[in-house]
Amino acid sequence: MSRSMLLGSLFAAAGALTPAFAQDASVTVVLAEEPDLVEPCMATRSNIGRIVLGNISETLTELDVRGGEGLKPRLAESWELVDDGTWRFHLRQGVTFSDGSAFDAEDVKHSFERAGSDQITCEISRYYEGIEITPTVVDAHTIDFTAEPAQPILPLLLSLLTIVPSETPIEFTREPVGTGPYVMTDWTPGQSITLERRGDYWGEQPEVARATYVFRADPSVRAAMVAAGEADIAPSISAIDATTDMDVAYPNSETTYLRIDHSVPPLNDKRVREALNLAIDRDAFIGTVLAAGTEIAVAIVPPTTLGWNGDIEPWGYDPERAKALLAEAKADGVPVDAEILLVGRTANFPGATETFEAIQSMLSEVGFNVRLQMVEVAEHEQYYSKPYVQTQPILVGAQHDNSRGDPVFSMYFKYHSEGRQSGIADARVDELIEAATAATGEKREALWRELFAYLHDEVIADVLLFHMVGHARVGERVDFTPTIATNSQLQLAEIGLK
Amino acid sequence: MKSMLGKRALSSFVSLFVLIVLVFFLSRLTGDPAALYLPVDASEEMRHNFREIHGLNDPLMVQFGRYMADLARLDFGDSLRKARPALDVVLEAFIWTLWLALVTMALVAVAAIVVGSIAAFHVGRPFDRFASVLSLIGASAPDFWVAIVGIVIFAVNLGWLPTSGTGTVWHWILPIAVLFIRPFGLILQVVRGAMITALGSAYVKTARAKGVRNRPIIFVHTLRNAMLPVITVIGDQAAALLNGAVVVETIFGFPGVGKLMIDSILQRDFNVILASIMVTAIAIFIMNILIDIAYALLDPRIRA
Amino acid sequence: MGSSVLPTNTRPAMQARAGLRTVLRMLWADKLACAAAVFLLIVLLCAILGPLTLNELASGTNLRARNAPPFSLERGVFFILGGDALGRPLLARIIVAAQNTMAIAASAVIASLLVGATLGLIAGYAGRWLGEVIMRLADVIMSFPSLLLAVIVLYVLAPSIANLVLVLAITRVPIYLRTTRAEVLEVRERMFVQAATVMGASNRRIIFRHILPVILPTLLTIATLDFAFVMLAESALSFLGIGIQPPEITWGLMVSQGRQYLTNAWWLAFWPGLAIILTTMSLNLLSSWMRVALNPTQRWRLEVGGRKHG
Repeated sequence: MSRSMLLGSLFAAAGALTPAFAQDASVTVVLAEEPDLVEPCMATRSNIGRIVLGNISETLTELDVRGGEGLKPRLAESWELVDDGTWRFHLRQGVTFSDGSAFDAEDVKHSFERAGSDQITCEISRYYEGIEITPTVVDAHTIDFTAEPAQPILPLLLSLLTIVPSETPIEFTREPVGTGPYVMTDWTPGQSITLERRGDYWGEQPEVARATYVFRADPSVRAAMVAAGEADIAPSISAIDATTDMDVAYPNSETTYLRIDHSVPPLNDKRVREALNLAIDRDAFIGTVLAAGTEIAVAIVPPTTLGWNGDIEPWGYDPERAKALLAEAKADGVPVDAEILLVGRTANFPGATETFEAIQSMLSEVGFNVRLQMVEVAEHEQYYSKPYVQTQPILVGAQHDNSRGDPVFSMYFKYHSEGRQSGIADARVDELIEAATAATGEKREALWRELFAYLHDEVIADVLLFHMVGHARVGERVDFTPTIATNSQLQLAEIGLK
Repeated sequence: MKSMLGKRALSSFVSLFVLIVLVFFLSRLTGDPAALYLPVDASEEMRHNFREIHGLNDPLMVQFGRYMADLARLDFGDSLRKARPALDVVLEAFIWTLWLALVTMALVAVAAIVVGSIAAFHVGRPFDRFASVLSLIGASAPDFWVAIVGIVIFAVNLGWLPTSGTGTVWHWILPIAVLFIRPFGLILQVVRGAMITALGSAYVKTARAKGVRNRPIIFVHTLRNAMLPVITVIGDQAAALLNGAVVVETIFGFPGVGKLMIDSILQRDFNVILASIMVTAIAIFIMNILIDIAYALLDPRIRA
Repeated sequence: MGSSVLPTNTRPAMQARAGLRTVLRMLWADKLACAAAVFLLIVLLCAILGPLTLNELASGTNLRARNAPPFSLERGVFFILGGDALGRPLLARIIVAAQNTMAIAASAVIASLLVGATLGLIAGYAGRWLGEVIMRLADVIMSFPSLLLAVIVLYVLAPSIANLVLVLAITRVPIYLRTTRAEVLEVRERMFVQAATVMGASNRRIIFRHILPVILPTLLTIATLDFAFVMLAESALSFLGIGIQPPEITWGLMVSQGRQYLTNAWWLAFWPGLAIILTTMSLNLLSSWMRVALNPTQRWRLEVGGRKHG
């Protein structure tokens, strides 16, 4: 940071306001927060993934979030199951990285080993936890992945692994190199990140030649920037501001729910948990505190996920029945009068505080003794993850994001008796999760369906609330439709120019 | 004067050390950065590994010893999240904050002294009342109100100014305007009060009685005598700005040290917290020394 | 005022009554200060009576009245200022919130004023060494981010209103401390203080009779403006979960909750913000009236009649 640069920024001509390249194919995207890193192996973190995934770095496989075609090839042209635990991937040829080196099987192997190394803390490795995966290079363009236990969804798991050149050191990089259609040409910390189109990309050339990412924490400022023509896309604005015809609503794959720790009375009583569910008037939130288009949840994953069970009836609003259930439980000596702590996270989603305030008041209405405590993210984590605070019965309001098409990314963590955020310990649930994880095809789908129904109707594991929607503002110059994955990625190739 | 500066530098150094010790140990009482850095479903093994890489598994005294040893070599450690030297991250941001604070305070000081003095010469008259009420409204209005309404009016509706960001001189106008309001109201009130007191004091009365009708002379003399509390308040407000203007930085996307500090506190990025506190503290200590020098220059008796 | 001719036994009562009348007359002479006093009285009444009478109304959610626009009597008089995001009447909420707001702001401001002024007096008046230690302590506090302090208090102690006040008070102490010291340094060199010292007046007498009256106006000016600052800062800290939690409410919290609606439903943040502005202004106007009324050389302005400047 030099003084001249500052002077320059202070006294730069006003003309610089309208950039000279305004006519050409450049777009400006305004995001909520600047990524700490632009590190390919951290692309599962949404603020990094939006810049990196599909733009700078590519993966072997890719989940089609637009056409519903399922898993599509990207850097792998095809893949097949060789034996029970081994998948073989045939890699695309003639692909080069942005540093000029050619892409081959060694790069894939290195990328995998780098992501799992204990020298750096790549986030992707958590998805491979408990599975022993060994990559074996067959030839320059063929690689085997052997998993123990066998992984029917290994190709899907690999849609998370970004590929870097085999020379990449095992430490975080600030100059990402990938095979994607764009290369990062500038990063001025605190201000902007610029990607430019590569001439030697293996695939079709995208329309957008240059993308500048800027960062504004305030949602109304992001909306204002698109309105004022300073930015073209604001992928996430507040529902409250989404009132113009530039604004598009999209399901953002987040599910809101109240996690219940079943080991603390009175929440160990099923009637009490049913009463919790019946006391909340979910319909009243939609179109008011929460945006129109919000859906009532019957599972912790959105309806686009494999095995999502449409036959499950959401809990209706029935305060009378809730009161009756509480009275019944009370007659059996269940301590239903105990103070229940409802923990919410401030700024978890737009309208979070209002939502939890309304829930608190609805629960009080049927006779629960509920105290609301809104906390910041670090303290929320202490309530949300094991070991649990068990000084009193606690409901933890939380959001879970799964746009990856398969419940496996959620169910173990949230419902298995060993899961870090699981409030239950149910042998049947554990069995179903393990069986579904190992199954394929229709059997897998059927097992997940069964699990969802069992959790919702029999166990009453938690208070499922809503599948949320997000709002994007798209300027007049560009053509862009957000998807369920827009939370975690934003491929510039999907942006058209008018 | 020289010995005074030496003593001040020494005592400031001691305060800085106390500050570092306090922040180092107290901030480590506030939770595990691994839990915040890693996703909620990360395993205990991943967390342990994260702490191991960043040396957070060692006993606190060992960590502190290592930190101080590094610090002696002017190594402030790396940011836990950004994989960059903490000092680089902080200095980058601090330069923006420094400029913003300097420009804003210069404007505020001039405006507040001029308007406040005029008000003091016209106590109770419409100008005084008007200036007081207006500055009070400004000083107590929530800054994000002013900021967002400013963006809506001047950037979206009128299109005169950019909404946010940096790049040209136009980008600075709204942030400075928002930052200007509160210290202006406060300092104006203090200037007005101090000037009224000074105008009522014996020597000004004597001067007037002796027939000094020259307004500028009276003004300069009065101002000189009213200056001590004014300089103190200006210093305090400048210090507040040097600590970063969080609301303005957040809303206008201004890459200053205030938001950096907040983010690093919420994320428990200890090295960045420490580095940003040290950098701003040194700036504030230097400013306080300058203020003491100003005291001494304005009022030679204080030196004694 | 001719009280010397009255019999001694009735003097105190008469004097008090006469004093009160004088005060009221002087207040009446300054119409703005008068309005300020009335407003503060109303706020005080709201703070005392509000939660007792309107709590039910202020916390009853009704999503159909969500963000109900102001200036409509359709839903009753308490909706005259509109409804909030959960359809609760804003007027009722502002009245109920007065109690928490005033309690927190007043205790934080008074605590920091008392501690800061005391330390400042010591720093300015006592020996160099002690003064130096106190000033460097102020430096440390000034450089210690208040958010970090709040997070530490939150983790080490527990979230509570008393701890919130503690955090707010600590962060504001240096302002009073430094201002007091600066004024003391100046005042103690003045002729009348020097004279008093020479004449052998005790330190205590000098501080209370000569120094405090001179520095009090500046301190009060800062304190009144600090009221606004503390009211808003408090809401920033409740984001952390320290201090007031919903459904409890303060003006600052209402302002910050209304922030996201600023461009669509301005009234959510506007009215509580206005309450903060008006309270601050009233306190400030009253304190500048007091500064004139308490100053023997200025008092004539009010006694002669406010016409000239009312």
